[in-house]
Amino acid sequence: MKIIVKLAVILLFYSTLYFAQGFKVKADGQQTFTFKPDGVNNQASFYSTTTLEDVQGLTKEIGGNVNFLTSDFSTIKGEISFPVVSLNTGIAKQSKDLKSESWLNADKYPVISFKIKKAVNIKQLADNKIQADVIGDFSLHGVTKEDTATATITYLDESPLTQQRMPGDLLGVQAKFDINLSDYNIKHLLLGKRVAEKIDITVNLVGSNK
Amino acid sequence: MNKRQKLTLLAGAIIIILAFIIWFYYGAQLFTKTQVLIEKKDELFGTTYKEWQNKFIWGLDYTMYITGATVFICAVLFFVFRKKKESLNENNS
Repeated sequence: MKIIVKLAVILLFYSTLYFAQGFKVKADGQQTFTFKPDGVNNQASFYSTTTLEDVQGLTKEIGGNVNFLTSDFSTIKGEISFPVVSLNTGIAKQSKDLKSESWLNADKYPVISFKIKKAVNIKQLADNKIQADVIGDFSLHGVTKEDTATATITYLDESPLTQQRMPGDLLGVQAKFDINLSDYNIKHLLLGKRVAEKIDITVNLVGSNK
Repeated sequence: MNKRQKLTLLAGAIIIILAFIIWFYYGAQLFTKTQVLIEKKDELFGTTYKEWQNKFIWGLDYTMYITGATVFICAVLFFVFRKKKESLNENNS
């Protein structure tokens, strides 16, 4: 009986390893990637659409880091954040209103962050490309709620081509998720239906492990 | 209503209609924009990212400023032209 249990445990362990979805790249083991604000590729944008008006904004001061086992992407942990004051809607007054007390209150809640806890529903799109649902705690306006971002992650081994961008292996991330403003105690009574309740957020990141 | 007053009203109406035509032409946006987001492709990763591009989009706020200013100027001119006619009549009598 004990032998059967031992065999079952060993089988379970190896099947977990076998079915673990990760990158098939040169690097192995734990990898840590750092995303620095580069003013171009690392950015977060939001989009709100109503019958009255479409509002969109962008920040390029996003940064953070993630770490994971290359052989098992579900182990991903990390944090991505950006300052509220860096948000720009392309309309000076609107950008100022967005950071004001009645909206995101940048003075009291200066940072928007996403703390990554794990990844699920991992699909291997290529040896170096994965699509996954990344689960984490999204913090906005003093409220933290669990949210899931659908992300496409590309791992590029260091090469003369990648070195033109930055040294080390590169990790490219494109993630999308949406939030409801009311979940984060953001009320927009004065502006009525000008801003939608549901806001679409897109994050683009390119980072290096060096 | 004298000829000058009629001309004032006509000019004001044309300016206001033109302002609204321009507003519709630019997409009937609520606010005037000086920048718009455009998508660019990251050739290395095959993903897209956004960039601000300087572009003027005429909004309803500009349209309303122009409408307001036109109504005000037309009202003043309308009054001025009426007074001139009245004072002319007084001089003649």
